[in-house]
Amino acid sequence: MSSLIGFLSLVFAIGINFYLILSRYIFKFKKQRFNFSIRLSSLLTLLSFFSLMYAYVTSDFSNYNVFQNSHSDKPLIYKISGTWGNHEGSMLLWLCMLSIFSFLFSFSKNIENNFQKLTLIIQAFLHILFGLFIVFTSNPFLVNSIFVDEGLGLNPILQDPGLAVHPPILYAGYVGYSIVFSIAIAGLFQNTDDEWLYVAKKWSLISWTFLTGGIALGSYWAYYELGWGGWWFWDPVENISLMPWIAGLALVHSLIMVRGEQAIKKWIVFLSILCFSLSVFGTFLVRSGILTSVHSFAADASRGIFILLIFFIITGFGFLVFLLKEPKKSNNLNLFFINKVSALLINNILMIIATLTILLGTIYPIIIEVLYNKRISVGGPYFNSTVIPIMIPGFLLMSIAPILSWQTNKINNSKKYVLGFIILSILVLIQSYFLDFNTWGFIGLLLGFWIILASIIAIFTSYKIKLNIKFFKIINPHIAHIGVGIAIVGITCSSVFQNELDFNLIEGDEFTVNGKTVLFEKIETTNQINFQALRGKFLYDIEKNLSKKIEAGKNYYPVSKMITSEAGILHQWNKDIYFILGDQKNNEWFVKVLINPFVSFIWLGVIVMMYSGLIAVTRR
Amino acid sequence: MSIRYQRLLLILISVILILSSILLILYNVRENISYFYTPSEITDADIELNKRIRIGGFVEKGSFIKLSSNNFKFKITDNINSINVKYTGILPDLFREEQGAVIEGSFETNKIFNAGIVFAKHDENYMPSSIKSDLEKKGYWNKKYK
Repeated sequence: MSSLIGFLSLVFAIGINFYLILSRYIFKFKKQRFNFSIRLSSLLTLLSFFSLMYAYVTSDFSNYNVFQNSHSDKPLIYKISGTWGNHEGSMLLWLCMLSIFSFLFSFSKNIENNFQKLTLIIQAFLHILFGLFIVFTSNPFLVNSIFVDEGLGLNPILQDPGLAVHPPILYAGYVGYSIVFSIAIAGLFQNTDDEWLYVAKKWSLISWTFLTGGIALGSYWAYYELGWGGWWFWDPVENISLMPWIAGLALVHSLIMVRGEQAIKKWIVFLSILCFSLSVFGTFLVRSGILTSVHSFAADASRGIFILLIFFIITGFGFLVFLLKEPKKSNNLNLFFINKVSALLINNILMIIATLTILLGTIYPIIIEVLYNKRISVGGPYFNSTVIPIMIPGFLLMSIAPILSWQTNKINNSKKYVLGFIILSILVLIQSYFLDFNTWGFIGLLLGFWIILASIIAIFTSYKIKLNIKFFKIINPHIAHIGVGIAIVGITCSSVFQNELDFNLIEGDEFTVNGKTVLFEKIETTNQINFQALRGKFLYDIEKNLSKKIEAGKNYYPVSKMITSEAGILHQWNKDIYFILGDQKNNEWFVKVLINPFVSFIWLGVIVMMYSGLIAVTRR
Repeated sequence: MSIRYQRLLLILISVILILSSILLILYNVRENISYFYTPSEITDADIELNKRIRIGGFVEKGSFIKLSSNNFKFKITDNINSINVKYTGILPDLFREEQGAVIEGSFETNKIFNAGIVFAKHDENYMPSSIKSDLEKKGYWNKKYK
């Protein structure tokens, strides 16, 4: 029953969108009726999504999708999140996000009527494309041809709280760029004033903030899930999320900087189209199975071709409009050697090169396989030694860019910055002398701390300190950059200064980690709702009364006969102690302990960036 | 500095940035890729010792030996040829005999491959055996399922 409701509402929603596009040319709707139809189609799409979720929650195995991906033993949270833990459901989530963005956009005020309408028409067009894709190639409402009273279960690797939050937020980011895309195209068609730039700024900031959150959550999930190579692995799926993120970052900066310059406006339109194209392209690469990734859980070549088609339609249409329609003539670019516009220019060039570098590395295996029939893999070393050097000048520039002037060539208080930089370099040099000297560690720490320091100097010298909301809005760019600095420090420390220790232990053994005594208490097996858990129990720092418990082990899922490893992590503000329980022979267990210094700084930096993304949305 | 001169400088900097990035990319693409072979291709091709490569295939049945809690020996096969592999560390959860695995590492001697990383991948369409036999009986068995 719920499958039928879901399917019908999905089809009706697509129908309404067809009707809307026709309406523009035939019926000439009034604004209210137009908005009503848009909202109705959004609500129907939501209804469709929730009926699928209902089928999952009630374990309705007459639905083929539920049968394949669910099991009645599963805890409720995984029944709910299982809705998007498979290809069909995740595409419905994608469409759902698209409707939500249209829905919200239909409420935005102070926007010229025709412009708003045109934007929503383009959204309707996208809705139809993805809607038809779902109906024809990945329908989650197919009826199961056999009668069964139990499902096949969700892939145990996906049975994690991460699945509940990471995909929806990431998709909100990806799909959010659809509205930016529509706004940019509508802005080109309408071509009346610069109003669309402000609207685009707001929505691109929202999308970027969601995308940041989505990537960070995925990264955190990959960090504690063993076998996913840590918080960043340069895996294809990770790379394709990073590409729209960097392009989106370039877009946000261009939108903040634009003062009606013709060249920058063109560039903004280009970036808007690029962001959404990269999002769709990423989906194609993952879903088609062309690229192998540790994170892809659904791949089917036939769907891939369909998404590739959608990608060409969207990108082709976008860039065609871009080439044919010119933004209105206005001011020329105001370039000096060191002013904000020049800094923006260099920043954008670097970001786009970085995006292209990642793109090249990601699709290089495909190119080589097609041309030479050789299979290769491009791993972390390529990306580390290419992307990072390209970004370094950008990071240097970033520390001073917010205080550069718009018109002239001067930097205020330049002496303070030079002094700050020299003192900082000496401090970092001394620090690296006491630890083992490492070039990347030195560069990373210097860069991270320099960005933080320069932003703080800028806040204290350029503005009057007040503790009110307005002040926080003014210093927001500096706050965002401090976030980046914190993240760079975290990334550098956790990757360069990581420490790995291996032990072979019998129950009751004591061993030393980081100067603290750790007791390997015992091995314990317990039965949970849908899995059996084997845990090695450790007591960290047993000399103190406040010793901490760490549990690391494996879960066995009888439904799918799979084992997953669960790391035990002790979080401290300045380091994470990461326990992995390995194999055993003759009661001797292999235990690997990783000490990751300052990992928490990565997440802290991301939170600061997201905070300032949200603040920037409210600032006009 | 005149405005014109400054613009020229800016354009020059941009061009230098782009060119050096391209050089960097080209250099790194050459240095940092690892080739992927099947066990049969290995036997045909001449592979230098200590060159980092990837080998993909199945873990041969009955070849897995646990030397200690973190030292393992097994064979990777494509049913024609097989390669002796040794590995120190923690094996992935999905690693087992007769399942697909990809190993990255280098040949220590002509006979023994020293794996630094082991990847194991399970088909996403796994199927509990009870339901599998049920489906096969009724003729609904889809070959896509493992």
